[in-house]
Amino acid sequence: MDEERRVAAARHGDRDAFRPLVEAYARPLFALCVRITRDAALAEDAVQEALFNAYRHLRDFDGRSSFKTWLYRIAVNAALEQMRKQDRHRVEVADDTDDEDNTLAEQHAAESPGPEAHAHGGEIASRVDAELARMTLLERTAFTLRHAEGCSIEDIATALSMNSSACKQAIFRAVRKLRHALQGIR
Amino acid sequence: MNMHPISDNELVLYFYRDGLDARRIAEIDDALFAAPELRRRYTALQRLLHEIDAAPVVEPDAEFSQRVWRRLAARIDAQAPRRAWRSRIAALVRVPSLRAAFAAAVLALAVLGGYEAGRLGAPDADERTRTAASRILDAYVAAHLRSTEGLLLTAANSDSAELRAADHDLASALVESNRLYAAAAARDGNTRLADFLRQLEPVLIELANRPRDAPVQSIEDLRGYLRETDLLFKVRATEARLGAAETHRT
Repeated sequence: MDEERRVAAARHGDRDAFRPLVEAYARPLFALCVRITRDAALAEDAVQEALFNAYRHLRDFDGRSSFKTWLYRIAVNAALEQMRKQDRHRVEVADDTDDEDNTLAEQHAAESPGPEAHAHGGEIASRVDAELARMTLLERTAFTLRHAEGCSIEDIATALSMNSSACKQAIFRAVRKLRHALQGIR
Repeated sequence: MNMHPISDNELVLYFYRDGLDARRIAEIDDALFAAPELRRRYTALQRLLHEIDAAPVVEPDAEFSQRVWRRLAARIDAQAPRRAWRSRIAALVRVPSLRAAFAAAVLALAVLGGYEAGRLGAPDADERTRTAASRILDAYVAAHLRSTEGLLLTAANSDSAELRAADHDLASALVESNRLYAAAAARDGNTRLADFLRQLEPVLIELANRPRDAPVQSIEDLRGYLRETDLLFKVRATEARLGAAETHRT
C-alpha cells in the first residue's frame, strides 16, 4: 500500500494504516525537532505530539502539499510549542541582537569537550553547534528548515506563520551569525 | 545595462536556488563568471554553508520508532470509545455493496418514524420517535459526507490512475445513496440538508461517469469547480454541523 492510500485509510479511522507512516517519519521528524529544540527529550515529546495531532487532523490534509510537507509543518509547531512550554527561549522577530552572552555556548562546549574538539574539524563543529544553540529560536528554526531539511522559503514562512520576507531575514541573520562564529579559525 | 549590486543575502538565496526569480539567478550566474571578487565571496559562502553540516547530529535510539508508535496507539485507542458507534457506522457505510442498502434502510426508518409519530399521536412519543430517526439519519449522512469529501479530494488532487479507478466505483456507489439520503432528509423535514445533498448529486454523477483515464484538463475543471462553489468547504461544514448536533443531543 502506498503512502497516499495509507493516509486515506487512516483518515477514515484505520489506526493500523497509520503505523507504517509513523515508522517512516518518526526518525526524520526527530532529526528536525532536535535541531529546533536542542534537547532529545523535548524532541521526542514533539514528535509524539506532532504525530498524534497529524492523526487527529488527517481530515484537514487536503493533498495540496505533500504529506511530508504537511507533517513537517505540524512537527515544527510541535517543537516550538515544546520550547514555549519549557520557557527556555523566546521567539524573537526583532533584528539581530548581537549580544555577547555566551552562557549557552560555553555551557555546551563544557558538556562536550571530546578529544576531537581540539582538532580543526571538531572546532568548527563545536562552534557551529554552539552558535546554533545561541541564536534565536526563530532564526534556528528557519535556517534548519532551509539548510538541513531543504524546505522552500514559502513552506517555511507558512509553517512559521510569517511572510516570506521575514523568513528570509531570519535565515540571513542565522547565516551572518554562523559566519561570525567561524571567523578566525579558518 | 546596469545591474543591482549582488548582496551577500542574495548569494545565500542563490546557494539554495530559492526566493530569487529566474532572471536574477541568470544575472548572478553571469556576474559570477565575470567578477573574480564576487566569485571569491560566493566560494567563501559555499564553504561556510558546507562546514555547517559538520555540526553533530543527535540520533534517537534504535527503539525510538516503536516507542513512539506504542505511545501513539495507546493515545488513539484512549480517544476511540467516545466515537465508537459513529466510527462503526462510518466503517459499515464505507462498504460499497452496503451503501445503497444502508441509505434505503435510513429512508425506510424516516418514513416509519413519521408514520409511527402520526399513529401514536402523543406529543412526547412523536418527539422521541422523530429525534431517534433524525439522529440515525444525521449519523449516516455524516459518514456519507466523509466518504464524499475523501472522493472529492482524491479526484481533484491525485494523479494516480489506480486511485482514479477506485474513485469511479466509489462515486457510482455514492450517487445512489446520496439520492436516498436526500429523500430521507426531505421526509424528515430537513430541507436544508436535502437541498445540499441534491446539490452534490451532479458532481457525483459526473465523477461516476468520468472516463477512468480522464485527461488532466478534466481534473483542472473539477478543481476550478470546487474552488468556485466552495463545495469541499460546504461538505465539511455540513458534516461538522451534523456532528455538532449529535454531540449536543448526547
